[in-house]
Amino acid sequence: MSREEYQVPTGSGSATGGGGGGGSFNAPAARDYAGESGGTMYYMCGDCAVRVPLEKGAAIRCQKCGARVLYKERTKRMVQFEAR
Amino acid sequence: MPHKPPTKEELERRKIVGINEETITDVSSTDFPGHYPGEDHSWDIESFRRGFRIEFHQNDPFEASFSLIGVDASIANAFRRIMIADIPTLAIETVFINNNTSVIQDEVLSHRLGLIPFKGGHEGLHKFLKWWRKPTDEALVNNSYYDYNTVSLRLEVQCEHNDKAAAGETDPTKLYKHAHVYARDIEFCPVGRQDKYFSGADIIAPVNPDILIAKLRPGQEISLSMHMHKGVGSDHAKFSPVATASYRLMPVIKIERPILGRDAEKFARCFPRGVIGLEKVTKKEAAQKGSGYEGHDGELKAVVVDPMRDTVSRECLRHDEFKGKVKLGRRRDHFIYLVESTGQWESDAIFLEAVAHLKKRAADLEKQVINMVR
Ligand SMILES: [Zn+2]
Repeated sequence: MSREEYQVPTGSGSATGGGGGGGSFNAPAARDYAGESGGTMYYMCGDCAVRVPLEKGAAIRCQKCGARVLYKERTKRMVQFEAR
Repeated sequence: MPHKPPTKEELERRKIVGINEETITDVSSTDFPGHYPGEDHSWDIESFRRGFRIEFHQNDPFEASFSLIGVDASIANAFRRIMIADIPTLAIETVFINNNTSVIQDEVLSHRLGLIPFKGGHEGLHKFLKWWRKPTDEALVNNSYYDYNTVSLRLEVQCEHNDKAAAGETDPTKLYKHAHVYARDIEFCPVGRQDKYFSGADIIAPVNPDILIAKLRPGQEISLSMHMHKGVGSDHAKFSPVATASYRLMPVIKIERPILGRDAEKFARCFPRGVIGLEKVTKKEAAQKGSGYEGHDGELKAVVVDPMRDTVSRECLRHDEFKGKVKLGRRRDHFIYLVESTGQWESDAIFLEAVAHLKKRAADLEKQVINMVR
């Protein structure tokens, strides 16, 4: 499974099968980033590392230092790896 | 001509691998049927019992050294391989990364986490925990994790500036909070009955809490959870219960003609400390004709004290003064094991488990063979 295909688990799946009687658990859910979504995207300033909010169509520029190099933030999704 | 049974010396000689300056002789064992005319060398449990011995040299929790004497290389090697590749341990298998803004990449971080050895309550690790099998249907994977086959861990670290740091401080560990992420920062999250097996001293924790996982700078964060499963070393080296499990053959040093005086001191220096000792030639030895000690009463002679400590460097064979006076070799049926545990098992228990494993495998094979001829 590629990481693009990955479906974020809901975290509320119930245990099925298994005669162990013990508690089962699912893969951990992704963090809750609700409230950060919407029209505003955040970027990282390449010069001063400040978090820059950018509206659609706004000038690509750091509001603090004026640098024009902004980086995309890391994905908010949980990413799964094999420890191998 | 009737066959004469071999003398004790002859039997002893057959067990020695010869080590010369540049060659090695008698590498293979000869105690099998048909090799010596008139001698029966078919395998027999009684004669094996008579010749077999185990000696422990060191038995610490994480390091054991012992000798198996009177066993064939095939068996000794089987134990070694089983210890490395077939004894199960618990290790991190899956990493769920929520955030990692450190300079170490997700893949590399996951790999590093997988290699960290963990310890925990023996009953829980060896009896309670079972194998986890990945379901063939990917959709069912989230319903395959239970308290008896999965151990959950967490690692949450954020690096910040330390306001209390002295002015002009240059040490990152003092300048910042959590500049270094160590194995001890990993947190065990018990589920279901795991509380019963892994609490107090039996908690699942890294064997070596000071393993450095990553370095952070202010604003960087690592936030992830992990699943541990049981596995074997043949699948991945992280599951191997041993750091080293090896054996060597017992060195044999035979001084055939006396080495005396300054030569004896030089001879002793050809070996690691403690292998060769110096003793005074006694009056009795000096009086004996043809012993080579005549007229050397009171001089120092070289004697073999502890051949086990020898590394068989063959240094003594390079010097002309010892030519023809010493013979080096190794005992073909004396295996000196060194087992170093990574911490999940006691090192002697790893060997016992290897013996049990070989027994079980042999019993399984027997069943198959019986089925085959039926
Ligand atoms: Zn900036």
